[in-house]
Amino acid sequence: MIPRNQLDLRKFVAPEFVCGHGALRLAGRYARNFGMRHVLLVTDPGVRAAGWAGAVGESLAEAGVSFTVFDSVSVNPRSREVMAGKETYLAEECNGIVAVGGGSPMDCAKGIGIASSNMRDIRVFEGVDRVPVPAPPLICIPTTAGSSADVSQFAIITDEERKRKIGIISKALVPDISLLDPEPLTSMPRDLTVDTGIDALCHAIEAYVSNASSPMTDMHALEAIRLIVRALPAAVEEPDDLNLRFSTLLASLHAGLAFSNASVGAVHAMSHSIGGVYDVAHGRCNALLLEHVMAANYEAASDRYDRIGAIMGPGRETPAEKVAAFRKALGVTGTLAAAGVRGDAIPALAEAAYNDPCMVTNPRNLTREEIERIYKHAL
Amino acid sequence: MHSEPPDDRGTLREKIIGLGETSLHKSYYPELQSRLAELERFRALLDQTYDAIFLIRADTGILADVNASVRAYLGYSKKELLKKPFVDLISPSRRAKFEEVFRGSGNLPSESRQTFIAPLVARDGTEIPMEITVRSVTLGTEQYIVAIARDITERLLAERELRIKESALESSTNGILIADLTGAVMYANQSFAAIFGYEDTGALAGMNLEAFFADPTVGEKVTAHLLDNHTIVQETIGLRNNGSPFHIQISGSVVQNDAGRPLCIMLIVMDITERILTEQMKRETYAQLGKNIEQFAILGDHIRNPLQVIVGYAEMIDDPFAEKILEQARRIDDLVTELDRGWVESANVRQFLRRRGDGTGSLKEALFRFSKRNKEDL
Repeated sequence: MIPRNQLDLRKFVAPEFVCGHGALRLAGRYARNFGMRHVLLVTDPGVRAAGWAGAVGESLAEAGVSFTVFDSVSVNPRSREVMAGKETYLAEECNGIVAVGGGSPMDCAKGIGIASSNMRDIRVFEGVDRVPVPAPPLICIPTTAGSSADVSQFAIITDEERKRKIGIISKALVPDISLLDPEPLTSMPRDLTVDTGIDALCHAIEAYVSNASSPMTDMHALEAIRLIVRALPAAVEEPDDLNLRFSTLLASLHAGLAFSNASVGAVHAMSHSIGGVYDVAHGRCNALLLEHVMAANYEAASDRYDRIGAIMGPGRETPAEKVAAFRKALGVTGTLAAAGVRGDAIPALAEAAYNDPCMVTNPRNLTREEIERIYKHAL
Repeated sequence: MHSEPPDDRGTLREKIIGLGETSLHKSYYPELQSRLAELERFRALLDQTYDAIFLIRADTGILADVNASVRAYLGYSKKELLKKPFVDLISPSRRAKFEEVFRGSGNLPSESRQTFIAPLVARDGTEIPMEITVRSVTLGTEQYIVAIARDITERLLAERELRIKESALESSTNGILIADLTGAVMYANQSFAAIFGYEDTGALAGMNLEAFFADPTVGEKVTAHLLDNHTIVQETIGLRNNGSPFHIQISGSVVQNDAGRPLCIMLIVMDITERILTEQMKRETYAQLGKNIEQFAILGDHIRNPLQVIVGYAEMIDDPFAEKILEQARRIDDLVTELDRGWVESANVRQFLRRRGDGTGSLKEALFRFSKRNKEDL
């Protein structure tokens, strides 16, 4: 077990956020107050079709802020999409960004911001603290409850040439304000609600057992787990209930505040590795790996995993078994193999996961062989 | 994801949790400071320029900002200037034009510019001739006019000097031609055109030097000589527009830049046909005069020889008329002697004329010696 000392140095960074029904309508006011004259409104075709980008656009127009919509963003945002967004940002002479959507548009918006302020290719920022010039003001309006990109210091972009996901980690990526409105969540389909909800659970669990956790992140992580266990199954059943949706949104916020400061662990490292090669939804990939990583890590943070298990529900099952039961109850029953991952790819996936920055805050120092074994269990 | 060697994992972890050297919550202040420093550098740059730069509010015409050159030219402090309408700094004689521009500034298309020549009036009343370019710009939501004034005092003086020089070139009675280093005509004055029989100078532009010489190779030789020796004085045969040859004297030089590199050549051409013909006539006249004088000397000898015989016979006879014959013979001798003196003086005159005229020194000396010898012989 990794010894923890509450006197260890820790830092906690959080953006300004407004939560509650109608928060989305404040986009125009904040854009104007940030001095934005022409905004790049980053979204994706699904969110645009659902009308949420339009609603934000109306708010901007009411505040006298003009905007250009950029919605060429795929599920796992690609480096070329980021650079195309940067070109649009510069060509349209924008001076601020508003992101409306899930993790993909928000990560893409973060990428567009730093690529345009630094006038560099997005891939050069890969790693930690490699953003010299901060991005222009960024307002995030999440339409899912899971990625927490609206409060985190992470942006995950797919490098199409090298076929892998790159992680850009910098406090400069934390958005200027997050507008947390439960209403857009009501248009999420069931699968997306489940995948993003389990992603938030994964963030919370990994942050709580992280070797960089702190009392402040613990508080947010545990609250996130409680909220997800209580509200996610109900929100899946009653998707139009704004209170349930708001609870999941709040869970995602707590999880985001926790993992943005304590970071995550092997689940995310291994999931990034798969996501670079296979087009598997990030939340789904995490859901299929989480219980196996928990089992492998258990000895290194048993007290914390036991506490998670207690929150997950009564019973004598291990925490990993309870998490597995939880995801199955939500209908996530597949395997990595069913998602398309091939067995012969495991050594390369393990190598990439071993080198992923998320791995350094995993409670246990996993070897490449141990990572391969986890992949095989999840296959 | 980014790869870090395993032994750096501790450092990487520190950075991820926000304890790295450069891990900082998003702040625009360092960038703001950097941009402010950039603006200050730009401001210093503007202050260093000799141009006077004015930023004028389009709605009021009042100065919003000026660079250091404005203060230096006009002698006002910045505080004083920022209360003034721009047109108050324009000479009253040209103020109306600017007032017209400012009245219509709202309609000026963005990025359009107009240029005026007008004096600015300094605090002490001195008028400084300026070329002023005004341009409408939008900064944020505000409409401004930027006026950039350039002191053209020296330029006006230089233009005046240039006009005098051009006038001198144009009014010269000598033909003046400027050609590039390939011999192509860049400029020719009116006299050059007249000398060579062209109606106007426009027809000469672009022609090659070879067109102006009876021997077309002369033009190239003149250019080559000038490039090697920088100057030339030469008499040659020119060729008029109608194909007739005539005598010319050319004086040429190479025009160089400050670094000594040749830029073009300049030729001054004089029509010397009249002088050449006069000299030819003089030469022919002297030749005829020499022949006559020599004939004159021979004639004296031819008279004296029979006269000597007559004198001999008269001295031998005893006759009262002998004395009469001798007296007449002496008179004839005196006349021949006078004639001798006369041709010697003629030779001296010719000598004098030649000395002043054709410069054929050896011939002059020979004639002088000849005349002296004949005089002594007598």
